[in-house]
Amino acid sequence: MGEVKLFFGPNHPGMHGNFSVHMYVEGDIVKRARPLPGFLHRGFEKLMERRFWYSNIALIPRICVPEPDINEACYAMAIEKIAKLDVPERAQWIRMIILELARMANHLMAVGGIGGPLGLYTASHWGMADRDRILDIFEAISGARIYHMYIVPGGVRKNITPKIEEMIWKFLEYIESRFDDYENLIFKNRIVHSRLKGRIILTREHALEMGVTGVGLRATGVPYDVRKVDPYLFYDKVDFIVPTATDGDAFSRVYLKFQELKQSVRIIRQALEKMPQSDKVNVPISKGSALRHRVPKGMAYAHVESARGEYGFFVVSDGKNKPYRVAVRGASYPQGLYGIEKYLPGTRIEDVPVWLATMDVCAPEIDR
Amino acid sequence: MTGVYKAIFNLAIAFFFVLTLEGIGRKITARVQRRIGPPWYQSFIDVFKALSKHPFSNGWIFDFGVLMALGGAIATAAIVPMGSTFWTPFPNTDNFFVIMYLFAVGALGMAMGMVGSGNPWASIGVTRALTQMLGYELPYLIVLASMMFYYKTASIHLLIEKQAGGWNLLVMPIGAIVAFISLLGMLGKKPFDIAIAPAEIASGPMVELSGKYLGLLHIMHVFSIFVEITLFVDVFLGGGNFWWFLLKFLIVWILAVLISSVLPRFRIEQMLKFYWGVPLGLAFLNAFFVLMGWTL
Repeated sequence: MGEVKLFFGPNHPGMHGNFSVHMYVEGDIVKRARPLPGFLHRGFEKLMERRFWYSNIALIPRICVPEPDINEACYAMAIEKIAKLDVPERAQWIRMIILELARMANHLMAVGGIGGPLGLYTASHWGMADRDRILDIFEAISGARIYHMYIVPGGVRKNITPKIEEMIWKFLEYIESRFDDYENLIFKNRIVHSRLKGRIILTREHALEMGVTGVGLRATGVPYDVRKVDPYLFYDKVDFIVPTATDGDAFSRVYLKFQELKQSVRIIRQALEKMPQSDKVNVPISKGSALRHRVPKGMAYAHVESARGEYGFFVVSDGKNKPYRVAVRGASYPQGLYGIEKYLPGTRIEDVPVWLATMDVCAPEIDR
Repeated sequence: MTGVYKAIFNLAIAFFFVLTLEGIGRKITARVQRRIGPPWYQSFIDVFKALSKHPFSNGWIFDFGVLMALGGAIATAAIVPMGSTFWTPFPNTDNFFVIMYLFAVGALGMAMGMVGSGNPWASIGVTRALTQMLGYELPYLIVLASMMFYYKTASIHLLIEKQAGGWNLLVMPIGAIVAFISLLGMLGKKPFDIAIAPAEIASGPMVELSGKYLGLLHIMHVFSIFVEITLFVDVFLGGGNFWWFLLKFLIVWILAVLISSVLPRFRIEQMLKFYWGVPLGLAFLNAFFVLMGWTL
């Protein structure tokens, strides 16, 4: 049988994002695979050097569409480290709530989204519909549904009202009532088991070798979570566990995301309870108009645990009103590039969209 | 001459009723998925819009394949009896084997045309579709063969008449279950929509279709659905007047849609293993019961 070249993306229903995988297949087996980023002509890192510190906030959420808030948080935390700003306590709790809500939005899309490659479209629609309720909350908080530009250096843009807190409480109750449905629809389905269990295994050695973090690594039994390893914000003051699995297969990756959803609910509840009442939620980076803000000379790395793994910003300032250099550590960079090239061969055509979905390959993170 | 009129009536029912059912099916799926869904006449809009567009041809094999697929489906839909002897257009040609042969013409025409488009995704899709045919037809034919043996006829309208005493669903329930599982495969419903898996092979056979071709193949699909479900209703759910037939058709369709909306799809080798496992075994069991005369 001859080798056939197939283009998986950028125009393919199974591909999410501006990304392409060139597969060379024999029969149904992938023999070679070549990831091809480069369809996103934006150049985030370079573009950031040409914009003011404050105007970058409008740009950075676009590095990851499903979970934009991590970018804002990393950027803000790095600048605060350089400028040695004291962020108000309430702002930090609000940030935690925002980040956890964003994680939940992403995980709902990922857990439901496994229905895309598997053909279980009911799960996809449920996930999207429930995610929309989180977007409603974001809209009430920040005025925007996807790109919130809410976490800014020095705090958050504005306070959250008691009405919004009430909205969040209601949402948490609602989403907890939905978990059983998800469990029954997806995780108790025998066809899902046969498609995902023991398939598309990423072993611990390979994950560590490539630098995979997040569920990709935790599914192999390594309890690495930035929230525990290097607590930022107030993650050391809340009580939650980091779920792990030992199989390293596609099923455990998806199931871990589902369990993390429940942990996020716990964290948000505690944050809402422990959050102090105050009106002060931000401090300016420096005096004067936001467009004239200057950050003192220095460099800092800030990282958070995103829904897909460790996500970091390395920011260098030379004391001017624009960053000297910003480098982004995309969470899906290793599995999206090296992973596809090295470990996709040997799987079947049907497994390729599952790989992309369970590894959360996010094209703009690679192509930044 | 009345046969021709009845055949035309068959086709009209196939077109309008099944397209309406498609719309209803989309509505039901949408409700399961917590959506509102498109209006029930959306499928009509889809077909007529596709037919009004300029197509792009991929060579004469492609053109011929599409026409052959549609022709095969129309020929089959025209001769299938609709639930009673009265609604049998051609009582001498409604033999089960004739229907299966004519039906295969449509499927092969589609395979030929889509492979003729030269797109590898289409080729993979066609391979999968033909493999799936191999999977579901074996248990289905064994059930039907045992039924023909039992009633000593292969004529569909005679099979309907023989069920006056009791539906075959009750006479041979195991066979009915096997036939329904095969029917899901024929309809391309989940978990057997492997041939058109969008996320895997970019909708497979349909990938190069555009405009009028897409419209024509949608119509072919509609006629295929009509033939497949009508055969099941005729053979297992007894006779009755025309409205009873439509009601039974509706119920079978809704059942298929509901099952389809909560299941993911198999991999191709899992599908074959599945069909040649339990359904095939049950089909043989059914045949054994029929041979021994142990029917209800």
